Amino acid sequence: MAAVAELPGSVSVRPQIRPRRLELRVGIGLVLAVVLACVLIPILNSTDPNALVGSPLQPPSSKHPFGTDTVGRDVFVRVFHAGRLDIVLAALGVLVPLVSGTVIGTLVGASRSRAVDAIAMRVTDALIAFPFTILVLVIVLVIGADTQIPPLPAGAPSILAAVWLVNWTIYARLARARTHVIRQEDFVAATRLLGFSRVRILTRHLLPSVWPTTATYAVSDALLLVSLIAALPFLGAGIQPPTAEWGNIMYEGRGVLSQAWWISLSTAGVVLVFGTGVMMVVDSLVSNPRRARLS
Amino acid sequence: MITFIRTLGVRALQIALVAFFVTVGTNILVRLVPGDPAQTILGERASPAALAALRQELGLEAPLLQQIASALGKLVQGDLGTSFAHRGQDVTSLIGPALAVTGSLAAVAILFSIVGGVTVGLWIALVRGPGADLAGRLVITVLLALPSFMAGLILLYALSLRLGLAPAGGWAGTWPANAQYIWLPALALAMYLGSLIARTVRQAALDTLGQPFIEAARTRGVPRSRIVLCHVLPNAVLPVIPLVGFNAGILVGGAVTVEAVFALPGLGAQLLQSMSTRDLPVVQGIALVTAVAIVVFNLLADAVNIAADPRLRRSH
Repeated sequence: MAAVAELPGSVSVRPQIRPRRLELRVGIGLVLAVVLACVLIPILNSTDPNALVGSPLQPPSSKHPFGTDTVGRDVFVRVFHAGRLDIVLAALGVLVPLVSGTVIGTLVGASRSRAVDAIAMRVTDALIAFPFTILVLVIVLVIGADTQIPPLPAGAPSILAAVWLVNWTIYARLARARTHVIRQEDFVAATRLLGFSRVRILTRHLLPSVWPTTATYAVSDALLLVSLIAALPFLGAGIQPPTAEWGNIMYEGRGVLSQAWWISLSTAGVVLVFGTGVMMVVDSLVSNPRRARLS
Repeated sequence: MITFIRTLGVRALQIALVAFFVTVGTNILVRLVPGDPAQTILGERASPAALAALRQELGLEAPLLQQIASALGKLVQGDLGTSFAHRGQDVTSLIGPALAVTGSLAAVAILFSIVGGVTVGLWIALVRGPGADLAGRLVITVLLALPSFMAGLILLYALSLRLGLAPAGGWAGTWPANAQYIWLPALALAMYLGSLIARTVRQAALDTLGQPFIEAARTRGVPRSRIVLCHVLPNAVLPVIPLVGFNAGILVGGAVTVEAVFALPGLGAQLLQSMSTRDLPVVQGIALVTAVAIVVFNLLADAVNIAADPRLRRSH
């Protein structure tokens, strides 16, 4: 390993990540602000998210900064309780496909067999052909929207299962394309000449060069997932009420939007701050927006 | 020309392949749905004999492979089967009107996002001064982070409920009366694609402005407006076509949720209703129609792209 690194003329083959500094800092700041609020506000304010704190549809006031909802619950408290759930679900929904997709894609990319490559590509083609939202919706309804696994609220297991089942394909595509590039590099040829085992080449040389690409995509994927989870209640699926979740708070607010804008729109504001932060981090990591997508 | 025909051929094969995968996939998937469609149709107190007869009639008794084969056979003839929930009604007749709503929403949204995105992107690239560029990029970043349905909620509140510029949802059913119902949802749906286009056009315009031929035109004294319209614009618009094709899936996914916010009778509403009544053929039909629509759309994008860019015809 060390011998390879010291070869004259060896260049780093990892993607050239040149973050635009200011954008990265502001982005991380916005994401951290929302995450910290979701962690701290439920600790500092012990109001139960399902407690009735006053009369319904009260406009924002110093006591209830985001007003109260249709049954008189504090929207401010609910939004930040919901944030914990949404962010944890998005993280879980991204991490599993990131790992499985990267490993599968690298294996397929490293394989010299044309059949393996063709089969893998057609499987991912078929899954990518579907509109992601509709596919997830169908899977959620097949599994059952109210399937419950204890620490997670009703609705969460089916969302995670659907995302895990579908989303690895994009990571596999990215990892495969990246592996095809990497394996042309001299250092991979060198490892083969040195007689390293396939497993060693894969784990010590290919994967370390592939995962920065898929991990960068994972950041923008997390944002897509937050949007998807929040959109599902509008399609009759998603996290079941009364559990607070960004999407179902907004869905509930849609019904009374003309009398009580604060339910939907203050939630949307918090989601947008989080989303803008993530987007800025993504922008600073990939200067070319198209590179992060599949090729 | 040969490239053109080959590209079209590959895409056509892809459509057939996608249709095959989706039909097989949804057949297996809907088998896993808990609950018996016959029971759902006839209700809790149906007699076992009636249930068995209906299952026979619906073809649910046949082995899975035979069901898939018969579904594929019908598909070739353009028949998506008959609905379970609405007895005796064709799936195509149920999906058709909903598809027209979703399709027109997507079409208007694409039109808005191309017109708006190209204008804004070009403007940001041409305005000199870091302030305008920063502001433009910031707005684009915020809009890219905004899910379509949230854009719908915000526009619905601001433009419809506050300013009264459009009805707060609903559908007329006839053109041109639909226009007043469709423009606001289409605007909401166009936010994401429009900002994606604006960002791409800005970058492409900046790249073009740095080319030697622009410098040459400038030194020859070609007016600025002519440089922008005849040299920068065509080059800046080119990457937009594949971009739109590539985002067709995201657009359909967004359209379904925007429809929910504005209560439009599109595929989203149809899908939801069919899933709650376990109307398997309709669900399969919607999955198939959307998947094939996306491939066809990509085919169109390829064709337009090749027609618009002479370099693609000459290469290979």
